[in-house]
Amino acid sequence: MFSTKNLLIIKSSLFIASTMLFVACGNSEAPKDETATKVVVKEDSTSTNDVPETSYSLPSPLQIASIFKKSGMKYKADLTSQMKDPAKYSTNLSKSLNLGVFSADLSYCVLNKQSQEAMRYMKLCRSLADNLGMGSVFDESNLSKRFEKNLEIEDSLAYIIAELQMVTDMYLDENDQQQITSIVFAGAWTESMYIGGKVYEKGKEKGLNTKLAEQMNILGSIVNALKAVEKKDAAITGLIADMKSVKDIYDELPSVKSNNPDSDKPLSFTEDEVTKLSTKINELRTKFINGL
Amino acid sequence: MKKILCIGLMVGLVFTSGFTTAQTMDNCDKKALTDKCKKKLDDFQYDSQKFSKINFQERDQKLEVEVPVFFGEKYRMIFNTSYLPKNVTISVYTKSKDAKKREAIYTTKDAAEGTKEFVFDAPHVRNMYIDYDVPTDASDPKLSGCVVFMVGYK
Repeated sequence: MFSTKNLLIIKSSLFIASTMLFVACGNSEAPKDETATKVVVKEDSTSTNDVPETSYSLPSPLQIASIFKKSGMKYKADLTSQMKDPAKYSTNLSKSLNLGVFSADLSYCVLNKQSQEAMRYMKLCRSLADNLGMGSVFDESNLSKRFEKNLEIEDSLAYIIAELQMVTDMYLDENDQQQITSIVFAGAWTESMYIGGKVYEKGKEKGLNTKLAEQMNILGSIVNALKAVEKKDAAITGLIADMKSVKDIYDELPSVKSNNPDSDKPLSFTEDEVTKLSTKINELRTKFINGL
Repeated sequence: MKKILCIGLMVGLVFTSGFTTAQTMDNCDKKALTDKCKKKLDDFQYDSQKFSKINFQERDQKLEVEVPVFFGEKYRMIFNTSYLPKNVTISVYTKSKDAKKREAIYTTKDAAEGTKEFVFDAPHVRNMYIDYDVPTDASDPKLSGCVVFMVGYK
């Protein structure tokens, strides 16, 4: 019926097709197609149990800056990172941490109408994001261009940063890189606390003291979020130890020990307590910025 | 010869389309979900969002997402379950599932049948824990889908 040559062609076609089917069935982590509409799916049994029972959703650097701003925190020049060469950061950990640092600086500048500085940090964020292979998020919905066009409008810039955060969150989730989200936030939180502590040092405003105490409340969640992704990058172990060293100091503060966590009364620190925490946070921030 | 090549090509195409479908079977359309949730934020500023993959099993499950919040801030949470093949009860607590005693500050338990989108404006609290109570699916333990929530603040 068929010649040997033709049979060979049919066999080859079937082999290629079968191989493709085999690959398709075996790879549950295949790249995502956003046009898919199927809801009911079947999976291979190996992925059935890999959903963690507890996961974490951390806030954005913009919200931290916004809370500090609402407390009356003034803008002080030269507190933000002065790093001008992001190429210095060679590991994914230092790139991600400093993306967080720059994101916090960007938010601080935007909310304080420092448009030129904001533009500088936007570029630094872009540079590190490019290095991490996620620079495309800045091109989504023309975010970079819209940022430049709206430089003098604080509300618009804040909205664009929030949108950038949303696109980034989605991108990292799509690409199963949730560890970057947690590391970036650890960097952003440290930078925000550094700035908050330095501004407090100069003005001693009570409102800012309370907000610093409130920010400390989420440190436990940051540590837990990092622990949840520790297996994805061995370097995270050191970061957990660093963040935990701040939490250990916080947990031992007399004001914290005597505070009822269920109380609506806001926690505030003594001067000595602020100094203890700030010293540790400054040390950590220096380490991050130096890419150690 | 040409006929044979065409048959081969068609077989390849059939399997290729199968390949494409298989690739997308694990999806929930995250962009579509994000856009839907964003519309419900109104004047709340975007803060974060979390997609949770849910694999139905031969036993009940309780999956939890810890959401650290700041006391005194106004929060809105939007949940979308469009990509879940079965109902999952969503509840929000101020304490984790390990706490001895806790009460839900929000639940979708009594929501109207077929509701896929839920909006919750949270009271002032220090922590929020979102629990997904996933029912058993004895008929098909490999059934799965995804749920998303978005957090906004002002």
